[in-house]
Amino acid sequence: MSEGKVDRLDDVKELLKKPLIKNAIMTVISLGMFIMTWWAVSILANLVYIPTPWEALDALVRSFVEVDPNLGITMWQNIYASLRRFILGFLLALALAIPLGLAMGYSKIFELLAKPVVEVFRPIPPIAWVPLFILVFAYFWGPIMVIFVGVLFPLLSNIYFGVKSVDPILVDAAKTQGASRLQIFTKVVFPYTIPFLMTGIRIGMGIGWMCIVAAEMIGVQGGGLGYYILTQALTLGLYDKMFAGLIVVAILGLLTTGIMQYLENVTNRRMGIR
Amino acid sequence: MILEIKDLMKSFPKKKDEMLAIADFDLDVEEGEFVCILGPSGCGKTTILRIIAGLESQTRGKILLNGKEISGPGSDRGMVFQEFALFPWRTVRRNVEFGLELKGIPPEERRERTQKFIELVGLNGFEDYHPYQLSGGMKQRVGIARALANQPAILLMDEPFGALDAQTRNLMQKELLRIWSETKKTVIFVTHSVDEALYLADRIVVMTARPSSIGQIYEIKWPRPRDRASPEFAALRKQILAQLESMVKMDE
Repeated sequence: MSEGKVDRLDDVKELLKKPLIKNAIMTVISLGMFIMTWWAVSILANLVYIPTPWEALDALVRSFVEVDPNLGITMWQNIYASLRRFILGFLLALALAIPLGLAMGYSKIFELLAKPVVEVFRPIPPIAWVPLFILVFAYFWGPIMVIFVGVLFPLLSNIYFGVKSVDPILVDAAKTQGASRLQIFTKVVFPYTIPFLMTGIRIGMGIGWMCIVAAEMIGVQGGGLGYYILTQALTLGLYDKMFAGLIVVAILGLLTTGIMQYLENVTNRRMGIR
Repeated sequence: MILEIKDLMKSFPKKKDEMLAIADFDLDVEEGEFVCILGPSGCGKTTILRIIAGLESQTRGKILLNGKEISGPGSDRGMVFQEFALFPWRTVRRNVEFGLELKGIPPEERRERTQKFIELVGLNGFEDYHPYQLSGGMKQRVGIARALANQPAILLMDEPFGALDAQTRNLMQKELLRIWSETKKTVIFVTHSVDEALYLADRIVVMTARPSSIGQIYEIKWPRPRDRASPEFAALRKQILAQLESMVKMDE
């Protein structure tokens, strides 16, 4: 009997040594401790702004299944509104960053011409553009343009850096195989840049996500997660709903980063990087 | 005469004046010949090869390939690099097909024409591997197949086995001789290893220190495969090594 018990204990120890299981257990413990602390703080501090995790979860579930009586839409529609802005802004940034980054990296003249302008605009925080963009592009395109500038620069610098770091020996190899200047670009420089582009997209996703929520707090029409959080908190004083909004933003952020990390790994494997 | 190098000179600009890297380099290479250019590191032997490949330009002099003057790189000269220079995102097959793809040859025909070169270098079964999955020796087999598949008039090899361990290097030398005898290609092979040159070459061109020119040319008429342990091999190795050593001393 006692021997069997020892075996089982050893089994558990063995299981804990596996990194994946160890990771999963630690994650559960970490999140559990966080929720417990939150719970304690909400009860001890007894502030209206900090609901208990249970109240927040309740508000979260309700926000998906019920139409918000003050906003007239469900959480799904807020998510849709934010994601649509995010995707449109991101696609616009990609459409400009890819040709511009490739051209800046490949052509010396273009690099010298474009770099001063890029360097002037790069240090401006994307949120600083909100007032101007609302005035110029109005409430639909304004927040989208904020995403656009936020995402543009990480994309641009990564693509530009990718072209600049093309291994010269690969260009030499292509030349001795009879490649023209255009072929060197399409068959060596461009594929070489793809992993760098993927890194730019991953970094841009994080920045873009912050931009959209911030931009929606300042000026927006037709819902959105930033707008939802701000209205629930400052206009309506429904703090459990504000927390529900925060949780949705966190989960969507985690999902996009996770998906991107996966896509980046797949691309790297296909591009011959281990 | 497949390749004629006439009065080749190369100098690099250096602050106020110029640094003479290569001077008075004249060499004729016969069709099917295996020529090794041997010299101390930094002697400009790689530069000579890169000029022949068209990757660098000479300051003065002419290079004729089959009687026509060379200007710029072209697919008539295949090159094998010390760093392998394989495209990491392409599989073995797609690396070997690269030159034919540039020429716009349709996929079916590309495949057909490259398969025999993949087999020639002993890589059948590895067609769908990526370079990172291959050992150094296998990578260089891809490099050789890629250069040959483009059907160049001559094969230029820039210390191709320099990055390999000693055992793999010996094996690759043997393999190269087999490939050379099957394809009958003219080879210009740059190396700093006396042993390698003696094992491979019909003719060894020993370079002088900077500014480099031809110090001495040795015709090696021994049959292949050669025995590295034979007395005449050892004697000639000793003689060439002494010559190289005296040059390095002079340089200092």
